[in-house]
Amino acid sequence: MSTFAARIYAELRGDRTIWAIIAVMAIFSLLAVYSSTGMLAYRERGGNTEAFLLKHGLVLVVGLFLTYVAHLMHYMRYSRWAPALITIAVPLLIYTVAFGPNINEARRWILLPFVGLTIQTSDFAKLALIIYVARAISTKQEYIKDFNSAFLPIIVPVLLICGLIAPSDLSTAGVLFTACLGMMFVGRVALKYIILLIMLGVVVFAMLFLMGSFFPDFIRSTTWTTRIQEFLSNPDGVYQVQQAKIAIANGGWLGEGPGNSIQRNFLPSSYSDFIYAIICEEYGVLGGALLISLYTLLFFRVTRLVTKSPKAFGAMLAMGLSILIVLQAFINIAVAVHLVPVTGITLPFISMGGTSIIFTCISLGIILSVSKYIETVSPVPVEEE
Amino acid sequence: MDVKNEVLYRVYFLLFGMVIPAAIILIYRTIDIAVIDGERWRAEGQNSYVREREIEAERGNILAADGSLLATSVPFFDIYFDPYAATEEDFQKNVDSLAYCMATYVDRSFTVGGMRQFLAELRDTNINRNRHILIKKQATYTEKKRIEQFPLFNLGKYKGGLIAEKRSERKRPFGLLARRTVGYVRADAQPIGLEGYYDDVLGGQPGKEFMVCVDRKHDLWVPTEDLTSIEPKSGDDIVTTIDVNIQDITENALLRALQYHNADWGTAVVMEVKTGAIRAIANLGKNEEGWFETYNYAVGYATEPGSTFKLASMMALLEDNMINLEDSVSIEHGVTQYYEDILEDSSPESKELDTITVRKAFEMSSNVGVSKMVTQAYGERNALNNNEGAARYIAHMKEFNLHLPTGIDIEGEASPYIKEAYSEKDSWSGTTLPWMSIGYESRITPLQLLTFYNAVANNGEMMKPMLVEEIRRFGHTQQAFKPTVIKRRIASKRTIQKAKELLEGVVARGTAYKLATDQYRFAGKTGTAQLNYRRRKGGANTIGGYQASFVGYFPAEAPMYSCIVMINRPRQHGIYGSDVAGPVFREIADKCFYSIIELHDPLNNGPRPVLAGANLPGGHAGNSKEMLHVLNFLELPYFGSADGEMAVIMAQSDSLIIDNRRLPEDKVPSVIGMGLRDALYALENRGLRVRISGVGKVVTQSIMPGTRARGQTVSIRLN
Repeated sequence: MSTFAARIYAELRGDRTIWAIIAVMAIFSLLAVYSSTGMLAYRERGGNTEAFLLKHGLVLVVGLFLTYVAHLMHYMRYSRWAPALITIAVPLLIYTVAFGPNINEARRWILLPFVGLTIQTSDFAKLALIIYVARAISTKQEYIKDFNSAFLPIIVPVLLICGLIAPSDLSTAGVLFTACLGMMFVGRVALKYIILLIMLGVVVFAMLFLMGSFFPDFIRSTTWTTRIQEFLSNPDGVYQVQQAKIAIANGGWLGEGPGNSIQRNFLPSSYSDFIYAIICEEYGVLGGALLISLYTLLFFRVTRLVTKSPKAFGAMLAMGLSILIVLQAFINIAVAVHLVPVTGITLPFISMGGTSIIFTCISLGIILSVSKYIETVSPVPVEEE
Repeated sequence: MDVKNEVLYRVYFLLFGMVIPAAIILIYRTIDIAVIDGERWRAEGQNSYVREREIEAERGNILAADGSLLATSVPFFDIYFDPYAATEEDFQKNVDSLAYCMATYVDRSFTVGGMRQFLAELRDTNINRNRHILIKKQATYTEKKRIEQFPLFNLGKYKGGLIAEKRSERKRPFGLLARRTVGYVRADAQPIGLEGYYDDVLGGQPGKEFMVCVDRKHDLWVPTEDLTSIEPKSGDDIVTTIDVNIQDITENALLRALQYHNADWGTAVVMEVKTGAIRAIANLGKNEEGWFETYNYAVGYATEPGSTFKLASMMALLEDNMINLEDSVSIEHGVTQYYEDILEDSSPESKELDTITVRKAFEMSSNVGVSKMVTQAYGERNALNNNEGAARYIAHMKEFNLHLPTGIDIEGEASPYIKEAYSEKDSWSGTTLPWMSIGYESRITPLQLLTFYNAVANNGEMMKPMLVEEIRRFGHTQQAFKPTVIKRRIASKRTIQKAKELLEGVVARGTAYKLATDQYRFAGKTGTAQLNYRRRKGGANTIGGYQASFVGYFPAEAPMYSCIVMINRPRQHGIYGSDVAGPVFREIADKCFYSIIELHDPLNNGPRPVLAGANLPGGHAGNSKEMLHVLNFLELPYFGSADGEMAVIMAQSDSLIIDNRRLPEDKVPSVIGMGLRDALYALENRGLRVRISGVGKVVTQSIMPGTRARGQTVSIRLN
């Protein structure tokens, strides 16, 4: 190993397997985005594909830097920031829903003043909520099965945040809600409450749906119904899904090779929602399976953390974040292989898209921070705070 | 259960019970699509990446003899709009002005506001998902250019979303003129006319182009530049022998006759005697709205020719020395009988006559006279006809080439039908010969008949009718067609001479005497064929209308053009060839005669007129070189010289004087008497601005000559 690589290796603390996963994914991301933005580049930048590569590369570099920074910090700091983060997230989401620019018929973004960048506020809220729930679960371990003192304080912010995200971005809200449920499940919340929550989720969804027909501007219920109807009525999938399938089929076992995708020309959002199909086309089933394995491996590494410190805030936090990442990844892939209706959830860390990558990177940094400190301490459960 | 284990169980449940199974399902599903079901999806994709498309080659033009366009291909464009091509920013920035342009120039049925809403709705996925919206059908090149300049559209195909698809349309600048002869090639119909016959030449070679699908959902394809494509080779032009003026005359004369006689259809062909070049070919058929070029009767329709065929019979008799023009023949007061069939003359004059000369029989078109002469000569096998009988007559018809198509270079020529002598297959009977001799029981097209007459006019040399003179490519001759001789000599000199005499006699004294003019002489034969003529035993023949024709040539002494006019089923104002078809022939002949310079003596053949001062062009000023050129060209004598830039001409008694006109460099010159071009040159060269009114020569100028020129504005009035 060269000295430079050795230096980097020495810099990177925490679970080195996770670092390796990040490295491989970053490479995947760069290659796939570079390949799939050709058409977009041709239409918007006069054929300058490097523009998108550079932009995406820059985002990745910034993201990885943030991962590095995040993993340097002790994860307990995040616990302390949790209430503040939630306090910021709620008004931010309200502002987004009310005043955010309407892009693709959804208000999910706000324009950052001075910087001129748009960010998807839900990405920030997701992180904030996960940290908050992890903190709440770990602090209330003693009486976790209790409803009033434990369950309610945990669930109220969850419902609040998810409820604010849901009108414009139901799938993200659903994923976040599910991730929180997963954390609560791991965090020993009583199963009956969890089942209650699942039922509550169904009810809320139905209510949103009804409201959507009265306030179509705020709630995209028509989009949801069309997507579900399309999924049910079309055995081969809608146009994008068919194109995605063609892409996957083109790849076969070993793929067409880097940059040889044809379907990128026909697959809408090939650089975000359907990037899995492009990866399969260029790297085959092998590439796709590797990617799925990487996410699974990430989750496995995090479960190791939990086994080392089951009740700790850190373990809970890492669990929540990894559930969120893996859940998003699997839903994205499930869309591409036509198992669920089209959702619009991106492939974490791989898909092009600034905010998503940045916050995924921060999440990974936090997981690494947890791993770094849990590895160094004894596997005996430690009460924090 | 202790706390630690409970957490662990739950985590393991998540890992092994949910995440890993989910991962396995996803991987399996990927394999399912990529491998198990892969063939099907690959096939689905395969059939639509790249497609080879044929590019239509530009079709060649069809030109008249003088270069006028008879048929040409004009490109047009169907213009489509992809509303989702533009970015939101570009769209919002341009939609207002685009709506204004669209509502003003493209679709006036919209208000600007309405158009803006329409455009905005095109981008609303709830309302429209089509990315191929037609905004203008059949736009001309100019219109397309303008639409491309519209805001948003001027960003180009990918950013603006404007898609122009080129097509081409065949146009006939002269409209109906010779439409049937020019013809067409269409996907759903038999190709006809020159377009059909010269399709290979005109069509060129289609090219090939590879298209790549850019949007499979909406089936959008764009041509690629990087894949090998074959450039189309555009078609060659063909130059026809058609003379637009004669064609126009012919078509108009024919149309008026058809209207006047309310006939079913008519055709008229004008042929150049020496070359066989067809100068005009008109075909008009009746439909509900009037008469149009619907079928090429001249070329494609063989009918019983009637009396015009008698010329062939006479020539056969003359060739075999069976008759002399001054011999006598009995016409039996216009009625005779062959077996059980009655044959009558149509002219009432025949009733009064019994024995007349052969010449007279032809001139008055006596059916009895001609048929009797032919049956006497060929009715039986005897020594006179070399024991051949009717076969000898038929052999003559073949010598006149009446049994063969002319081979004109146009699609769909009908073959003539001449019965073989005594042939059972052709149901030859005892009455065949007499009826054949007067133009029945045979079929021949107007063009074939004209070709025969033309050969007579051309002293026995039969020319192939010719419609195309040249094949050109980018204005350069690729192939020139020479007049083709079908037969060097169809009959002896003597026979031709006699035939001409007979035809001249028809106009001078015979059935066409009413048509004669004292301006020039022409020759020809009338024909009034009975249509659907059914001979019945014991009298009462039925006739389903008439077909009037006239075929001949002019001027009689030195034939230049031959012409046939045939009008089918006239319903009013007469039925005879001399009344219905003859006047059309005369009108065509008149106009051709008067408009063809070669047929007239120059008017100024006399001595040079004496120049007189009053008539001399005086007071003109202008460029000296040009003035000298004009004077020299007109061979006008003049005195003086002009070596400067401007000159002036003065008329003095009987001579012209040219002198330099000096214009001071820094002063306003006098431009009185100059043409506009010279005046502008003189004034603007001195830095003056010029305002112009009127046309002609300068009569006034607003600034006095000699004034210092300081860039003032001079108004000049021309008259």
